[in-house]
Amino acid sequence: MTRRWPGLLTAAWLLVPGALRAQDATMSHAFELERRGNYPAAAEAYRTVLAAKPGEAAALLGLERVLTPMGRSADILPQVRNALAGSTTSAPVFGVALRAYAAAELPDSLRAVAERWAAAAPGEETPYREWGAAALGRHDRPGAAAAYRQGRERLGRPDALAAELAQLAFADGDFPGALREWLPAIRRLPGYRVSAVSSLGQAPDSVRPDLLGQLAHERDFTARRLEADLRARWGDPRGALAELQAALPDMPPVALEALRGLLDQVRTLPGRDSRVVQGRLLELIAERSPDAERARLRLDAARVYTSAGERDDARRMLTGIADDRNAPGTIAAGAATTLIQVLIAEGRLDEAAGRLAEHRAEMAGDESAALQRRLVLGYIQAGDLARAESALGADSTVDGLALGGRIRLYRGDLAGAVERFKAAGPFAGDRDEATERTGLLALLQPIEADSLPALGAALLALARGDTGTAVSGLERVAADLPSPKGGAEVRLLAGRLAAASGKPEAAERLLKAAAVPEAPGTAPAAELALAELLVDRHRPQEAVAQLEHLILTYPASALVPQARRRLDQARGAVPQT
Amino acid sequence: MRRRDFLARSGAALAALSPTFSRLRLPSAAPWLLVPMDDAQADHLKAYGLAFRLLERGGRAEWFLNYRNGAFLLPADAATSRDAALNGITTEPLDDGQVVQIRGELQGGNMDAVPLEKAPKVAVYAPPNAAPWDDAVTMALNYAGINFEKVWDAEVLGAKLKTYDWLHLHHEDFTGQYSKFFLNYAGSPWLVDMVERNRAMARQLGYPSVPAEKRAVAVAIAEYVQQGGFLFAMCTATETLDLALAADQVDIAAAYADGTPMDPDASARMRWEEALAFQGATLELNPTTPVYSDIDGHQVNSPERRQPLGSFTLFNFSAKIDPVATMLVQNHRQVIPDFYGLTTSFTRKTLKPSVTVLADEPGAPWVKYVHGEHGQGTWTFFGGHDPEDPQHQIGDVATDLSLHPHSPGYRLILNNVLFPAAKKKELKT
Repeated sequence: MTRRWPGLLTAAWLLVPGALRAQDATMSHAFELERRGNYPAAAEAYRTVLAAKPGEAAALLGLERVLTPMGRSADILPQVRNALAGSTTSAPVFGVALRAYAAAELPDSLRAVAERWAAAAPGEETPYREWGAAALGRHDRPGAAAAYRQGRERLGRPDALAAELAQLAFADGDFPGALREWLPAIRRLPGYRVSAVSSLGQAPDSVRPDLLGQLAHERDFTARRLEADLRARWGDPRGALAELQAALPDMPPVALEALRGLLDQVRTLPGRDSRVVQGRLLELIAERSPDAERARLRLDAARVYTSAGERDDARRMLTGIADDRNAPGTIAAGAATTLIQVLIAEGRLDEAAGRLAEHRAEMAGDESAALQRRLVLGYIQAGDLARAESALGADSTVDGLALGGRIRLYRGDLAGAVERFKAAGPFAGDRDEATERTGLLALLQPIEADSLPALGAALLALARGDTGTAVSGLERVAADLPSPKGGAEVRLLAGRLAAASGKPEAAERLLKAAAVPEAPGTAPAAELALAELLVDRHRPQEAVAQLEHLILTYPASALVPQARRRLDQARGAVPQT
Repeated sequence: MRRRDFLARSGAALAALSPTFSRLRLPSAAPWLLVPMDDAQADHLKAYGLAFRLLERGGRAEWFLNYRNGAFLLPADAATSRDAALNGITTEPLDDGQVVQIRGELQGGNMDAVPLEKAPKVAVYAPPNAAPWDDAVTMALNYAGINFEKVWDAEVLGAKLKTYDWLHLHHEDFTGQYSKFFLNYAGSPWLVDMVERNRAMARQLGYPSVPAEKRAVAVAIAEYVQQGGFLFAMCTATETLDLALAADQVDIAAAYADGTPMDPDASARMRWEEALAFQGATLELNPTTPVYSDIDGHQVNSPERRQPLGSFTLFNFSAKIDPVATMLVQNHRQVIPDFYGLTTSFTRKTLKPSVTVLADEPGAPWVKYVHGEHGQGTWTFFGGHDPEDPQHQIGDVATDLSLHPHSPGYRLILNNVLFPAAKKKELKT
């Protein structure tokens, strides 16, 4: 039997009519020509196939593909008419015919083909969808809408072609109309939710209350979820959470999918509200998740709560992990790290130190060292320099040297601080910390005294967040220092702090006092800060005069390009950025 | 200054460079400042403002055509030196001997010195609510520090236009079809506002429709040029101004604009003799396609016809024989990347024979920058929207010119602003 197969195949091949074999070869040749980009030759090859077999959908589609880039879409009409002359029920043939008649601007033929296709495929939306798409292809939105509505009427389903009508309404700027169509579209096919949120999310502010009112009349979960997504898209994460939480169904997979969807949306929003809601969503997801995943989700929630400053919630999550006997070890260690960070941020330093000592063995060396340094910073912020120094110990890393420099500085030991800052170099801490250290070095270097406890006290007040005390302290220190020997630099810092803390009068006085010709290294920066303050105080003319003075008086200063840009902005010569 | 004055005072202009002019200067070690416009210049765009403000103060300057890419010679008075320092404009102090040496060089090559003696009064045609950052010329003028006033339809149809030396048009649609965005952007707040504002103005001025009123504005602008004004237009204003002028008794506006559909035979009935630059164009009949005609070579808003961006090349002209064209192409770059606009370029086949081409894309069927005369005045058309935002879209952030101080495209705009300040005997090639 097996041996007889080759013989039978050869016989079958010989029985295939020669014309058909030639046609297959022509199709292959046409495909090859098309692949090579030789569209005119490919078109001829496809036409040859269609001449022998007018209803050959593959050839018709091929001909359409190659005519389009040649800008000769309407040339397909004779082949389309031949294909339709038979009793075809082929959807691709009808599709090509619709597009061809649309391109040739033959609306009556277009309608006739659509009607014929609909009759050949009763109950299907495709003929009407393609009819509408063909109308849209020639920018005929009313024609497309008529096609979709006719389809809905003929099919007798109120949700038929709802997504298409929704997109048309959106294109017309009719957001309430789009919402009316999106709802049945999503109910029928939930995958449309993303498109619905994307288009309705673009509704202008003035329309949004109407859309929310429209949604409020709908009772089902689809509407509630859409409302939640839209509220999130429009920057109201708390409203979104409230809406979704109130409507969450008991079925875990549905609820989880909805919660995760909203979480993805809220993650794109900036601000504290967004982070709080992210934490709450992670909590809700954790409650519905299996054990192995629950601890990780709670840890994520704790971290988000921590970054939002919601320490109670963060601690609640971390305690939950601690109570969870099924939590994996790595998650438990992560929870301990986060908990220590929370405790430090809350000022519960001794408790944090205790937990750090307890868990140090489970942590990586770098991680425990970083926590130790955060603890040192916590003591500094608490004003307890002795405990800070004790906690720092003999840390000789660059980060440790930088922290040691700060402790020296706050004690008023300027020489010791400068020595450690220089030893720490530019690599300790992150970029902000390195920049701040450089600023402190610039402040200290013109001062001749090795020790200045009053300056240390003022800077410690600043580190503890007491800007008012810091400003008055710095001003007192500056009064005893000659301008070129640190007085101007200390006033500049005080002026900047006063400006940042909402005391513009004090800032202006201090910056003017810093902008003196006896301190040419400081004066340009003081003049620039003063000009920026004047702009903020809506005194652009004075700002312009100040900037002009800076540029003309200190033309070699590195701040001149920045001053020129500010000058352009103050004059309205460039857009505000 | 009108073009007739420009011609009439030519003799006196050269005399102004005599020692009398020198006596106006403050005595100093280096009595002159050369503002180089080659790659030594730190801010090419602001350099134009420096010269303009000197003229506003009553000072005089010279434009050294083709010398260091169009350098300026300014007196080294205190105000000018201060202005240059404040704005970061590169200047080089020159003594009289060095100036004489440069004049010798100018004599020996394709270069010339053009006196600049009066700051032109500049008007920008824009609706009252126009965003200040959506018009390349407004941006260039603001950045360079050149004073200008805004005018719109009421001023143009009133008597105010004749008080200006220089008028700029940007992306206005003088066919009255709201840039043909009416159907595709229906409901967009900016479009609603544009339509309401234009309809109110047409009603206020007693016209039956916006297209009728805009055509009247176009005719008034052409009359302004006829009487000696300098016109500079970019983007859609170039094409639609000429279409509006040629559409005498022809309905070229879609039904949404004037209540009646466009005349299907409009292309054949246009009276091109009334247009400034173009002739024989075929109009776009589809009201939903934001394309007006085949004047534009790039057809950016027609996906089937859109052409890719290339770069355009500035022509060289004889500075001594054809100073006007030479002034308009002063630049430190000869080849400049192209940029789209609703009208990006001008097809060669639709240009009138009298048009002077200032820049084109070699080998392409379109040109970019053209110039011509109309009565006693001149017009210059520059295709595209924003030279530093080649794919400009509605709603894009504003271009910050402090990030493009050397922009060669923006230099071409500013050449046009300063050109009416020039005063020299014109010789035709």
